[in-house]
Amino acid sequence: MTMKHIKFFTVVMLGGLILAGCKKKNNEEENEEELITTVNVKLTASGGATQTFTWKDVDGPGGNAPQISNITLSPGISYACELEFLDESKTPAENITDEVEAEGTDHQVYYEVATAALTINGLNTDAGGLPLGITSNWIAATSSGGTVKITLKHKPGVKAAGDLVSKGETDVEVSFPVVIQ
Amino acid sequence: MFQIIRISLFIVLTLGLTQVQAQCTLSLSGHVNDAETKEHLSEAVIFIKELKLSQTTDKDGFFSFKGLCPGIYTLEVSHAGCITAEKHIHLKADLETDIDLSHAIQELSEVVVQGRSSGSTISSNELKGKALEATRGLSLAESIKKISGVSVLQTGSNNYKPVIHGLHSNRVLILNNGVRQEAQQWGNEHAPEIDPFIANRISVIKGASAIRYGGDAIAGVILVEPKLLRNDPGIGGEVSTSFFSNNRMGVVSAMFEGNSARRPAFSWRLQGTVKRGGYARTPNYWLSNSANEEYNFSVTAGWKKQDRGAELFYSQFNTKLGIFAGSHIGNVTDLWNAILAKDPPDYIKNVGFSYKIDRPYQEIQHQLLKLKSWKNTGDIGRLNLIVSGQYNNRMEYDQKRFASSSDVPQLDLTIGTGLAELVWDHFNTGDFRGTIGGSFMYQNNSYVRRLFIPNYESSNAGIFVIEKWTKNKLDLEAGLRFDRKSIYNTTDNGAVNVYADRFFNNLSGNIGFNYRFTTSLRLLFNASSAWRAPQVNELYADGLHHGAARIEKGNSGLSPERANNFAANLVFSNSKWEIDAGIYYKLIDGFIFLEPTFPPELTIRGAFPAFRYSQTNARLSGLDLSAAYQFDAHVAASVKASLLRAWDKQKEQWLIQMPSDRYEAAVEYNFGNARKVNETYLSISSTWVLEQTRVPSTGNIEVPGSSVKQSDYLNPPPAYFLLAFEAGTKLKMKHSNWSFILSVTNVTNKAYRDYMNSFRYFSDEMGRNISLRVRIPFDLKHKHKS
Repeated sequence: MTMKHIKFFTVVMLGGLILAGCKKKNNEEENEEELITTVNVKLTASGGATQTFTWKDVDGPGGNAPQISNITLSPGISYACELEFLDESKTPAENITDEVEAEGTDHQVYYEVATAALTINGLNTDAGGLPLGITSNWIAATSSGGTVKITLKHKPGVKAAGDLVSKGETDVEVSFPVVIQ
Repeated sequence: MFQIIRISLFIVLTLGLTQVQAQCTLSLSGHVNDAETKEHLSEAVIFIKELKLSQTTDKDGFFSFKGLCPGIYTLEVSHAGCITAEKHIHLKADLETDIDLSHAIQELSEVVVQGRSSGSTISSNELKGKALEATRGLSLAESIKKISGVSVLQTGSNNYKPVIHGLHSNRVLILNNGVRQEAQQWGNEHAPEIDPFIANRISVIKGASAIRYGGDAIAGVILVEPKLLRNDPGIGGEVSTSFFSNNRMGVVSAMFEGNSARRPAFSWRLQGTVKRGGYARTPNYWLSNSANEEYNFSVTAGWKKQDRGAELFYSQFNTKLGIFAGSHIGNVTDLWNAILAKDPPDYIKNVGFSYKIDRPYQEIQHQLLKLKSWKNTGDIGRLNLIVSGQYNNRMEYDQKRFASSSDVPQLDLTIGTGLAELVWDHFNTGDFRGTIGGSFMYQNNSYVRRLFIPNYESSNAGIFVIEKWTKNKLDLEAGLRFDRKSIYNTTDNGAVNVYADRFFNNLSGNIGFNYRFTTSLRLLFNASSAWRAPQVNELYADGLHHGAARIEKGNSGLSPERANNFAANLVFSNSKWEIDAGIYYKLIDGFIFLEPTFPPELTIRGAFPAFRYSQTNARLSGLDLSAAYQFDAHVAASVKASLLRAWDKQKEQWLIQMPSDRYEAAVEYNFGNARKVNETYLSISSTWVLEQTRVPSTGNIEVPGSSVKQSDYLNPPPAYFLLAFEAGTKLKMKHSNWSFILSVTNVTNKAYRDYMNSFRYFSDEMGRNISLRVRIPFDLKHKHKS
């Protein structure tokens, strides 16, 4: 009886060891982490040329400091704004804007203007009719200065009408200096 | 034939103070007497079953074993014309005990050994027996947090790290079955990867004196020790189950062990644990995504002769821990939003219960393979060789940015460790005995995906000698250790950065005494000096710390920290009282800690709190007190206190993140034994944790919308008072005693937050938790034996 027991447990023991040794290797594609390094703000005055303003931190958090351009607008002019999110840590750079748009029901862009006489409205909507904000209208009034903070929020499954900027997880939060002159 | 009387021996069931001596140099001696005439019996045979050691008493009835390891042993004492007695002893210090042999059959119950104990000059506490059983199903750190001077560092409801005298992580050494646990100790949310079910004894040695296992354990050592392998033929084991109401967690652990009559030298054991819990619940809401899973097993095979032996041990620990959804924040703005809202947002609070683990979560595996062999060197000592390998893999899964993002973890770190140790214990060398040895460790760390710490290799070579001199009422102990630690091959990092190789070497040492005024009163004193080399994360960490929403930066200019530690304990123990009062005073030069830097680091996700490792001179002093009083056979009461003062000597302010003062009181009622029901008890205990008012007065953290800067995002939470209830019994079944323990923690379902939980920014602690523990031992003995 004892020998039988010992044999049985030896088999169990060896089985356990073999299982441990053959732990399944994760063979999924070695995908790099999704990283947003660059926000491009493309502003087009009606009938005018497109200006691009950039906030970028190519080496990601830590390392070198980000590069931020100043947004310069003319008083009394309306602009069509289009945002572009890029991952420039890869070559060629990856455009992440399409993914934000494809999963628009989980994302939302917020614009917060401080001190400058700038109004931002006309945010585009997602498939569910809620604001998305990849495109918008910028109306510059009088000569002034300030900042515009652009925040991309990730709210998987919980995006609702009237959400405040504090809801969800922040994917992007960049602040551009703005001058209207 | 001899009949066997079982003498059950209970040596302080609660967390009494004991002596844990790491070295195997203990002695067990005494006289064998005739129970009726009290005459010393010569030619009596004393056999230690676990060790297969036997001795015959001399003409004065005296016996003496030397070179024993601490542990629980079974003595079989026989003499012609007497009834063979079997006696369980718990050896934790030198023990002198007399054994009475009877000519007549009689039942002896509950004999308390009041031996002359001598031993280490280092105070230690341990958890075993009923006290350990009452913690079954909890994590290692939670199990030992009732020991005075020990607390836990929490990250949410299922991630606990042990803290000794305010220090943790690399400063606390954990010995898993005699092997230094080598895992990824950076990060407050990296809990020890150990299944407490492998142990039948968990000891905590406080202070920097345990230089036997490395000089770097400047806070203390936690020993997780399995019981000795089975020595009498047959197969036995036990099944333990625990159920918890709060997170609907179930734990099942089973152990089988055996020894064959045909090959008595060979013993084996198999052990496994499965654990699964769902969302934890605070008094008012579920903690979304706080589920956990754990799957562990271990295998032991031993071979033992009188003068030599070997043991092979393999264990595997696997866990998956969900991280509370409300703690996952994108940047410092999100953190402030969470703090100012006080409670988690409704869309997180209003979820129902689930066992599902979503991102963010951690998945960790730890494997240990150990081979220990020993051989006696004549009568004077024993040579031990321990070779071990460890593999630790930690994968951290962040929230995915897009549903279409890949499913791979954001952080994937692997550390492999090889350790060899050659140690000679000598114990039969006059008034002196001790341990001399050397160890070598090699480590290889690698990462996939996000860089947090660089790839590196590391080695540590150490030699040590610890000697003890015993004369009359005094034990003197001194030890010296030299270590050389290297960190190299740090260049293999995709040329992201260049990290310098580092070498550190230094001495650590300790000296102490243990003086016995009477058999019940002792004074222990120990002075030690230990050092710890900066770890790779402290030198070279660079990047975002998962879940913590902060950037941690190493400091390549760090030098080792040196701790000079003084500790004194007064121990009084008799049939009524059990008192241990200890004070400690620790000076740490070059104390390494994470300091917030200003301004926060700007990233595309907004500002992140940035921390950099820096050094200061610290002073930690405190008091650990535990006192228990036995009123009569039924009623016992105990009190405990843990006080700590941690001071930054350079900045002249308190150190951040240190446990506040804690007091505990308990009353227990024992019903005694009945025919079918044994050891029934009821106990009520209370814990009072004070508000931590000793925090740095100034800091680098900017309060939004103001220019005020403070040392923390949120002030420490207020004091809290918790009640707990416990009841247990043992039912005599046909073949064994089934043990049941019912307990309720946080009886009043109080909503509170704890300063040592990093999720105190986001949520309350767990509410009421009712648990039931059942332990069923079994034993299949050979029919033809006994």
